[in-house]
Amino acid sequence: MKCELYEELFTGWINKELSPEESGALERHIAGCANCREELQGLQQMWDTMGQIETPEPSANMGVKFYAMLNTYKESVNEQRSLWADIKYQVSRIWEWQPRWPMAYNLAMVVILVGAGYLFFGKSKSDDQDKQLKALSSQVHELKQTMMLALLENPSASERIRGVSYTSEIKHADKQVIDALLATLNNDPNVNVRLSTLDALTHLTGYPEVREGLIKSIVEQDSPLMQLAIADVMLKLQEKRSVTSFKELLKQKGLDNGVRDKIKQTITQLI
Amino acid sequence: MLKVKAGDLDRMGMLFERYNRQLYGFLFHMTYQRELSEDMVQQVFYKMLKYRHTFTGTGEYIHWMYSIARNVLKDHWRKNKQQVQHEGVEAAETIAGGLVPDEAFEKKQAKAELHRAMEKLSESQREILALSRFQELKCQEIAEILGMTEGTVKVRIHRAMQELKSIYVKMER
Repeated sequence: MKCELYEELFTGWINKELSPEESGALERHIAGCANCREELQGLQQMWDTMGQIETPEPSANMGVKFYAMLNTYKESVNEQRSLWADIKYQVSRIWEWQPRWPMAYNLAMVVILVGAGYLFFGKSKSDDQDKQLKALSSQVHELKQTMMLALLENPSASERIRGVSYTSEIKHADKQVIDALLATLNNDPNVNVRLSTLDALTHLTGYPEVREGLIKSIVEQDSPLMQLAIADVMLKLQEKRSVTSFKELLKQKGLDNGVRDKIKQTITQLI
Repeated sequence: MLKVKAGDLDRMGMLFERYNRQLYGFLFHMTYQRELSEDMVQQVFYKMLKYRHTFTGTGEYIHWMYSIARNVLKDHWRKNKQQVQHEGVEAAETIAGGLVPDEAFEKKQAKAELHRAMEKLSESQREILALSRFQELKCQEIAEILGMTEGTVKVRIHRAMQELKSIYVKMER
């Protein structure tokens, strides 16, 4: 029997890794081989002694150093990573930026086209619109005028006052309106209507026929309120032609004393 | 370790806690210098961090750890071929110098001598004994770490033990 064949098993024997068959074979061999038995015994003894050799413990310092190293390493890795992330972010931004240029282009085109359209068609459009607007506003004007005239015929005093007040909205009073107002001023049975008509007419004193009508109506008025109001208007207008009408009024009998004093005062102020 | 590889570097702390003693023991039996061993442990863990992408996960983590440790040792021996210091024996002798019963004293003495004998082994023999006896790894594991067949490992351990014995016997005379 060759002892070398059992060398492998020796190792297994001393570190107890042998299977039952292997250890059985080795046991049979050493039973008949004193040399091997002795050697195995010696090796086993040495192996056991080696097991008693203590391995020293590492110092606590090692752990401290390790964690310091780990932390430094982690920081350096994080820095690298953040740098990478930054670059990646910028690269991804390029893709985000790309669709913005077409969008800007689209917006520019819209602005240009709108501008061009305005320049091409704007003029004719605005002309048309102006004409239409004028026609419309003149229609409204006419409507108001007709309504005012109709209201002046209304039996209710308050409706007639409303009609009179429309004249302040009429910018260009024509003869028809002025005649209607003067007729109201002289003939309306209600003092309040006549007073508001006088008020409306003072806004239209730019028309000479209005002034004349006002002067003529001085003698027509019998209400002291109206006489005083007309005197005030004449004073405001500095209408000297009204003096003769006032003198005629003073000749009337039954004139209120207060009114008489006021008219005398007005005459002296006008002359 | 695969989690460390994926970027969870805090896991390296767990691995350190689990294996630092084992690794230190191996390096100590290879160098017999405490401080040097501690530095090497540090180096091994640093390399594991730095080269974590090379860990494939096909083999055991500790096999990878040992192969890195062996590279660190090789680098060290290449750089410092001449100067080899032995602290371990001195430490063993100071313990032995105390007042202890005879039997215990003899055992300590035997241990110290065996220790000294081990230092006289070649590096590869010391390495295989360190792995098998002190790290208590199985022959199959050692075979994986050293890149040999299991049979070769067994034969080498046996040869190393024979060599150690002969050195030890010579020292006793």
